[in-house]
Amino acid sequence: MEYCTACQKAIATIVVMDLTDGAVTGSQHVCQACAEQMGIAQPKLPPKFSAELLEDLLGGLKGGRSGGTRPRVEACPGCGMTPVEFRTKGRFGCPRCYETFRTDLLPLLHRIHEAQAHRGRLPARAAPVEPAAEDPSLLDLRRRLEDAVRGERYEEAARLRDDLRRAERGEESSR
Amino acid sequence: MSKRRGGQPPEFRPGAWLAGTGPEHDIAICTRARLARNLQGYRFTPRLTEGESRELYDFVSSRLRQPGLPEQLGIVDLETVDELERSVLVERHLISRELAASKRPAGVAVDAGENVAIMIHEEDHLRVQVFASGLQTEAVWRRAERLDDALLQRLPMAWSEEFGFLTACPTNTGTGLRLSVMMHLPGLVWAEEIDKVTTTAQKIHLAVRGLYGEGSRALGDFYQVSNQITLGRDEAQIQADVFLAVTRFVQWEREVREALLRGTARTRTLDRVHRALGTLERAQILTSEEALGCLSALRFGVQTELLDGFDLPSINRALLLSQPGHLQRHSRERLEPDARDQRRAQLLRETLGCEP
Ligand SMILES: [Zn+2]
Ligand SMILES: [Zn+2]
Repeated sequence: MEYCTACQKAIATIVVMDLTDGAVTGSQHVCQACAEQMGIAQPKLPPKFSAELLEDLLGGLKGGRSGGTRPRVEACPGCGMTPVEFRTKGRFGCPRCYETFRTDLLPLLHRIHEAQAHRGRLPARAAPVEPAAEDPSLLDLRRRLEDAVRGERYEEAARLRDDLRRAERGEESSR
Repeated sequence: MSKRRGGQPPEFRPGAWLAGTGPEHDIAICTRARLARNLQGYRFTPRLTEGESRELYDFVSSRLRQPGLPEQLGIVDLETVDELERSVLVERHLISRELAASKRPAGVAVDAGENVAIMIHEEDHLRVQVFASGLQTEAVWRRAERLDDALLQRLPMAWSEEFGFLTACPTNTGTGLRLSVMMHLPGLVWAEEIDKVTTTAQKIHLAVRGLYGEGSRALGDFYQVSNQITLGRDEAQIQADVFLAVTRFVQWEREVREALLRGTARTRTLDRVHRALGTLERAQILTSEEALGCLSALRFGVQTELLDGFDLPSINRALLLSQPGHLQRHSRERLEPDARDQRRAQLLRETLGCEP
């Protein structure tokens, strides 16, 4: 255990390395507060609610094939509702909004119903066709991801998220 | 297109929800199934223009008039119905407060027994409601399903494989099914256990709300228990969940009632019931809030055999007549709140047959 070389009071939790041409030429042990002041470390954010984190994880998931940032959602072509309006009102403007705001919708449905896909009657559904989201392996992954988030096992959650993303992509390409 | 008046809403028939029949009707007064449905190719009601609202209303009502529906429905065009009659329809649970306040073309298709009421242009284009007296979750769902089958054949509804029936609010998405049971729970309220009921219900995703009054206060100890989840569970499961929970709550209410009739609790219970009776017999001014409280105690007293000389149907009728809309309709005049309270006291004495 070492004390911070900057303030000499707090316990050092961060090692700052001096690099010259890729070689370590020196090191300094500092505490979180000092590191923040020196602009080396990001301020620690208060822990997120697991629901919020889940939303981030799932939101990122639904971000699309690239798996990166969310796609920019324009106003609904069916009714002109904008993403901001949808988020503030929490109401749809028309049936097409379900596709338009899908990215926001999935975590929202999950919060309300603890589910994201329909089960039950549909008009003229000859044989019960299981929708894609009901794929048992996907369901299982999603459930484990939720468990991990709830249990605040974030490393496991991140790994499961990647698995889920891969599984979903695989499914999309095979369609 | 011709508009049909729905005729005079009958004041004395209590409608399905106060008929006082059916399993467990002393505690589980009435069961309702409600389906939220929307037409393809239209925006949801709040985003329709005036012209589109009219077009959709005319289209839906013409399809409802076509023969072959499993129910005999008469359409009440709300544009022909004044504010007072609208409040009567609200008090009979046939339309919602929101629909009553609507400024757009709107209506309700009702059968003669008031077991079925389809609201047109609520938040969703159609809200199909089926009522039955007592605890009858399966029966109302079956009847609603049969009607829904027929509606799906004549109206192109909005749905998707993934999300089921598409509704204006995500809280209804999926089955669009809200099953609710109106319960009278004076025992649980008096024994101060009602909060436990609410907490228990929440844990299993059921909502418990007061049937009368605004906010969390439940006037007259009347509550509405309903499923909150409409997505990811099928109709049979929703039905079974609500049935099971309500059965438990009925049992709980019965146990508490027994406890309230034993030992030292009995005197307090008797006092409460007789004070309520005294008020109903003697009061010259009764607000609807006080009337609901007294009628609740009276209902409790009759069911637990602490009182005799009153029958349940007349207490149920009194409950309905004490509501502002029915009270004024029955008096055949509009009354200011003060005059209403006076008339209410008088009318309840007459209805209950306790004119001193
Ligand atoms: Zn320091
Ligand atoms: Zn839209």
